[in-house]
Amino acid sequence: MNNLLYASYAHGARYRRYVQAHGAPLLILDARKVEAQYRALKKALPATDLYYAIKSLPHPAILEMLAGLGAGFDLASSGEIALVRERQVSPRRTLHSHPIKRDRDIRDALRFGCTTFVVDNTDELLKFLPYKHRVGLLLRISFRSRAAVVDLSKKFGCAVSEVPGMLTLAARLGIHIKGLCFHVGSQCLDTKQQVDAIHTCNTLIRQHRDTGAAPISMLDIGGGFPIAYDGKPLDIDRYCAPIRRALVELPPHVSVVAEPGRFISGPAMTCVATVIGKAWRDGHYWYYLDDGVYGSFSGQLFDHMRYPLELFSDDERRFPSVLAGPTCDSIDVIAEDIPLPELHLGDVVVGHMMGAYTAASATRFNSLENARVIVVNAHPGEADASGEVPMKAGSSDAAGGASRFVH
Amino acid sequence: MPEFIETLYDCYGQVFRIDEKLHEIKTDHQHLIIFHNAAFGRVMALDGIIQTTEKDEFIYHEMLAHVPILSHGNAKRVLIVGGGDGGMLREVIRHRSVEDITQVEIDRQVIDLCREYLPNHSRGAFDDHRVNIVIDDGLNFVRTTPERFDVIISDSTDPIGPGETLFSQDFYAACRRCLRPGGILTTQNGVFFMQKEEVATTARRMARVFDDWHFFAAAIPTYIGGIMAFGWGTDNPALRRTGLDILAARYRQSGIATRYYNPEVHRAAFALPQYMLEAIGKATNE
Repeated sequence: MNNLLYASYAHGARYRRYVQAHGAPLLILDARKVEAQYRALKKALPATDLYYAIKSLPHPAILEMLAGLGAGFDLASSGEIALVRERQVSPRRTLHSHPIKRDRDIRDALRFGCTTFVVDNTDELLKFLPYKHRVGLLLRISFRSRAAVVDLSKKFGCAVSEVPGMLTLAARLGIHIKGLCFHVGSQCLDTKQQVDAIHTCNTLIRQHRDTGAAPISMLDIGGGFPIAYDGKPLDIDRYCAPIRRALVELPPHVSVVAEPGRFISGPAMTCVATVIGKAWRDGHYWYYLDDGVYGSFSGQLFDHMRYPLELFSDDERRFPSVLAGPTCDSIDVIAEDIPLPELHLGDVVVGHMMGAYTAASATRFNSLENARVIVVNAHPGEADASGEVPMKAGSSDAAGGASRFVH
Repeated sequence: MPEFIETLYDCYGQVFRIDEKLHEIKTDHQHLIIFHNAAFGRVMALDGIIQTTEKDEFIYHEMLAHVPILSHGNAKRVLIVGGGDGGMLREVIRHRSVEDITQVEIDRQVIDLCREYLPNHSRGAFDDHRVNIVIDDGLNFVRTTPERFDVIISDSTDPIGPGETLFSQDFYAACRRCLRPGGILTTQNGVFFMQKEEVATTARRMARVFDDWHFFAAAIPTYIGGIMAFGWGTDNPALRRTGLDILAARYRQSGIATRYYNPEVHRAAFALPQYMLEAIGKATNE
């Protein structure tokens, strides 16, 4: 269920001005929010290097902001390599995290200068035989999480019991495995799985050292850091406390990295759609928007997330309503049977926290244009990138302003 | 101060201080940077890997050019594949006996930028009347050219990138096809200690097409990790065993002044240490 926020009609004025200036649908990317999220996570995990998972939102503005803050980048394809190459990011601050690669992918990454790769099976390990003197590999281990909204340990990762065998095989082949990694999932609502996984990796690293083999010197704890789609306050510092305590127990030579995607990009983008059609059917108002699940709301299907929606009306009455997308397909429905004030053609419907896995997975079904992305607050001290409608800091926050939660 | 960090290996590498960045560009084929470093002079890197520096390039270019030309003894027609910086061309044109040189380079921008920013490499060699520059993929050229050569020099980049096909079986076979009888192919084959597998692969491929094949070696400081391997392939086994007196006579006759090459170094360069012989599957240097 999408969280619904009701605000006064006047409160929607700046979104209406954005639409007047740039058209609809729009995605407003707030670079200052990117910085705030990065700094918050860095503060919560001060000894951990953060590699932004580009896949969540591969927008140049976010990459530029993070490169300037000293972040690293988690790459998963040759296309993502091209994006960071254009930004002049040092390849030393990148790692290729896709567990399955073609030879061409490996060569593209090496040519860029990225030498850290992830493997989770013997066939993948053997792909590195020709490049064994150049690379340092991370062995991905599967830890299933029930607390993750998106389970990322089903498709990838070897079993804990397979780790010693893989390490021995790699050593015999002369391929350097420099670290372990795991990804318990995305949007993990508690840290138990991460903490258990860190403990297990700690044991594996110490046992491996006891065999006299070359040390394992890196641990990649993946992502999974959650954001508050439901509007409940989420203190990332408190969330990370158990992870910090678990990491302290690692041998001191082990460097730790994390791959946050959603946590950094999610809150940074706001979707502004407008009502382009309206009908009364079976006791419901149907509102047809110019963006939907084939577009910016694709994450509701692929990523299983529901974004907070904000409506602007001075009418206190609520009617059972449906918000539908612009395509001809009947699956293109954003929210059904929700209580909304009566909306009119041209009214804006705002989706908050729509940075992660939204624009990144939008399709061009029906040959519809993807929502245009405009960037605000890209440079310190700059009032607004659009130059027309000042955007107050933090005002795009779902919990901010005059809005109030009803669900 | 800014630094250039070479990204060839994950756990080991070299760092240069960039005293002045002279040029940086992403061409259609590769990412190129030319900068000045106090110890090595002007330095060029492609795709994050050092290609050449003003201070140590003489070792590489002299060995890859003079060893085959003086072993051959009567090289009239020479083909250079790659070598956009012009250093190889500079060494080859110093042999007055060479009548005709073709250079095939995939990336015209590399030649243009090196003429501008690394003028000491080519020192006007591109303007020599014997030189014919072809902009083409090296493999495509040797596959299709009707011309024949006495010496072919593969002055390539690393095997990951645009130089990839210059390490293929097809390339070695096509070079064999466009060598005259008694002709020699020499190739850049990387730093042996760090890229042993790549040299071993070249050895297997050379063995399929050349009656006589081997490697020779020289240490070039900015190709880090030890001695660099140069490939050698020909249909005439006697050439690799050309006597010291003959080499000395040819060297004298050429009138070329060198800074690294001399006939003794030439002979000794073919003496590979045991770990190299083992990797290329040879029992001895014979």
